[in-house]
Amino acid sequence: MTSGRKKLDKVTDLASVVNKYVTDGCSICLGGAIARESVAVAREIVRQQKKDLTLMGAAMTSAGEILVGAGCLKRIEIAYFWIGVVGQGFNFRRAVEQGVPRRPKVADYSNFSASLRFLAGSMGIGFMPTRSLRHSDIIRYNPDIKTMADPYTGQEVALVPAANPEVAFIHVQRADPSGNAVIMGNLWNDPTLARAARKTIITCEEIISEQEIRTNPNLTAIPRYCVEAVVPLPFGAHPEPVDGYYWMDQPFRRDFALRSQSREGFLGWLQEWVWDCADHNAYLEKLGARRIQALAAIEKRFRQGMAR
Amino acid sequence: MKKAALKYNAAHLMAARAAREIKDGETAMIGVGLPLAAGIIAREVHAPSSMIVFEGGTVGAKSRRMPWSISDSATSDFALAAMELWRMLGDLQAGYVDVGVVGGAQVDRYGNLNSTAIFGQGSYARPKVRMPGSGGANDIASSCGRTIIMMRLGSRNFVSGLDYLTSPGYLSGGDARARANLSGGGPALVVTDRAVFRFDGQDKEMYLAEIDDPANLEAVRKLVGWPLRVSPELKKMKPPSAKEMEVMHRLDPLGIVLGTGAELELEDFEKYLGVLERNFPDEPLSR
Repeated sequence: MTSGRKKLDKVTDLASVVNKYVTDGCSICLGGAIARESVAVAREIVRQQKKDLTLMGAAMTSAGEILVGAGCLKRIEIAYFWIGVVGQGFNFRRAVEQGVPRRPKVADYSNFSASLRFLAGSMGIGFMPTRSLRHSDIIRYNPDIKTMADPYTGQEVALVPAANPEVAFIHVQRADPSGNAVIMGNLWNDPTLARAARKTIITCEEIISEQEIRTNPNLTAIPRYCVEAVVPLPFGAHPEPVDGYYWMDQPFRRDFALRSQSREGFLGWLQEWVWDCADHNAYLEKLGARRIQALAAIEKRFRQGMAR
Repeated sequence: MKKAALKYNAAHLMAARAAREIKDGETAMIGVGLPLAAGIIAREVHAPSSMIVFEGGTVGAKSRRMPWSISDSATSDFALAAMELWRMLGDLQAGYVDVGVVGGAQVDRYGNLNSTAIFGQGSYARPKVRMPGSGGANDIASSCGRTIIMMRLGSRNFVSGLDYLTSPGYLSGGDARARANLSGGGPALVVTDRAVFRFDGQDKEMYLAEIDDPANLEAVRKLVGWPLRVSPELKKMKPPSAKEMEVMHRLDPLGIVLGTGAELELEDFEKYLGVLERNFPDEPLSR
């Protein structure tokens, strides 16, 4: 396999990586959930009209809602799909309940078991056992989950299959041009996702130097040998937050949740925030400098005294 | 100044009541919404050395702002540790977490929960209402030392049979859970907006232990989908204290979690910003 992983300068742009690595019918996973959620990536996938994707993960909010509402997903393997406290996203509901715009096949897991799938995938083994899931209907309706007697103790365990998505997008605070990536605050399963995926794309708030990476190697969550490409993408999680960089844009999320209550409402939202914005920069321009700077300032206020 | 009677809503009542179940020194795994409020009240009011851990992997955060999810930046403000989700939930499975707070849309008499789908005339694949799914609830219900269930008491959610069992309680009752070899202790109580339920020590069936007003007994019975047993020592639910209310107002000035009706502030970005700026002055964290 020719791979971009061996290059030292992997910096490119969002449209190029989505175009190159997301193929119709492929499996994807998006890093973060709320914190550092790859929302800008989801919008770009919609913009490029990718289809029949399988979304693998543990939990998804805004990014998942956008993808399912735009009809990009044929299969969802996940533990949790929701917007959050400002209201629920109705796109997932409409898709599963009514098949609008299409009915994805859903494979339910729990957060732990969904995570263990990536852990298995990251270590090159085929499955992981857990004590979760047993005696629930998660196991009953998901034929990919098996049970067996632990060969050492004889106790029953549930088994979940490894997840090795074809491409992972992980939004981080900082990365160097070769892809060494620093994550602050919530890690979610991202160091593990990066290793489980066949191709891992890092999007970041800031590019830093390799020298800076070397000053504190323990902070590197993802080493460059896992990484295919690096995309500078400031405010790439908006309206979700990035620890230490900007806080959640709750009015934006609420507006999304409300408009998603009807199919027409969501299509209007999609028109306004995806189709009418040529790219992520146009999206940020539409939000306005004042808004994104204010979200950054609020985050700073709450993190005063913490290392950044 | 005349002291007004303490005003509280159903969310305040539930959060404060659940909080009192978290003991000092305990490690508590907390889910979104009201459970978060309960965990924070516990730490700020009566259990200062209790510690909240989030499924998202952060440990012991000390935030001035209310976390709005299990994995936003508020959950890592001044935390003791930030780990991956699988690591955190592995710690849960290994027995490090004393108490967990979970919810659902349906509960049965043995404390089994559904947070996945209401089938109606449909099925799992085509349900009437599709909900978020387990998240960490199945893991917490399986492995946590004990669990507190929080949900509103409505006419359709205390049911004789679940459409889908997301998170195990006492399964079919009696020793079914013990035989299933689930390592966690199971649900200790169910906190609702009108009553508190506990589980019988022998057959593990849910019974009414506390009620907001004893005059509401028949109304509560009607909302429960099976013949409800009532404790001979039925107590009255204690309303939130002034201190508990103060914590809730301070952490959630927008009323997002506690539903105190600050909708207007969320309609407009400038108003949102204004509330945050007013309520969280620009000063270093002193705690």
